[in-house]
Amino acid sequence: MLAQDFRSFFNASRREGVILSFGGDLSENVLFSLGEVLKLRMGQDATHSSVTKRVFGIFVEQAQNIIRYSADKVAEPTGSRGLISAGMIVVGVAGERFYVVCGNEVPDGDVPTLRARLDHLTTMTGDELKAFYREKLRQPPDEGSLGGSIGLIEIARRSSAPVEYDFQELGDGRSFFCLKAYI
Amino acid sequence: MDTISLPATERSPRIDFDFGRGHLALRGESYPEDAAAFYGPLLQALRGYLAEAATDPIVFEVGLAYFNSSSAKALMNLFMPLEDAAAEGRPVTIRWFYADGDETIAEAGEDFAADFSHARFEMVEEFA
Repeated sequence: MLAQDFRSFFNASRREGVILSFGGDLSENVLFSLGEVLKLRMGQDATHSSVTKRVFGIFVEQAQNIIRYSADKVAEPTGSRGLISAGMIVVGVAGERFYVVCGNEVPDGDVPTLRARLDHLTTMTGDELKAFYREKLRQPPDEGSLGGSIGLIEIARRSSAPVEYDFQELGDGRSFFCLKAYI
Repeated sequence: MDTISLPATERSPRIDFDFGRGHLALRGESYPEDAAAFYGPLLQALRGYLAEAATDPIVFEVGLAYFNSSSAKALMNLFMPLEDAAAEGRPVTIRWFYADGDETIAEAGEDFAADFSHARFEMVEEFA
């Protein structure tokens, strides 16, 4: 029963075109290792190198967003140990396109800003995203940002369609945030 | 501080900042765990070097096969004081290396190039 159940779960994800799936505590080291196997898998499948690079780039930005902004953190940084945060990240193929989807808990207080930023990005054309990216690159990062405040713009401009996103209220001041990008 | 040399790691580039010769280079991939921690000391050293207000030419070579958005931000922070120095009359050349056919890196170079009006920005295509 155990093997059967688990295999049907595994097969279901294969059918859905999933090539990489991770759920749980994510650290920078885990990100690195997942990224390595993702590149190897895509290399074996003879994916065009420019597509591999875009999938990998979006994967890194999504994974770093989980590590930095998930509300469900295992450890605060102490000395050499960095952030470890819970979330999930899935890379797959749907039809002819790759997708990268991530999910993690965020504090309810972050939702309006995040939603507004994503709403804004999805209305922009490729040229507008490029201009916006360049503008943000020259500005100091937004308050509370641990990177350059440009990760989401980078994801949007490397995607072949507007990003999809959703929030679900969980209670206790948290929401589940999901972001899906097609390459 | 005359030179900063750091070997490449799997996720951070090789650094050769030879301030004595005015030759700075950065090669490899860049998605360090903490881009601010990695690039912060380099930016500080660069600022210190530029503050000496010498007139020797500076060449900065950047050859990155991949960099994440936090590294892009850090690169911009390195480029800005160089452009400022060029505006004050110092000869500054940025050489942006990209592999033959790598549109992503070529396009990123063109994006950065648009922010330079005093420093010279050269795109250098490399063939394997």
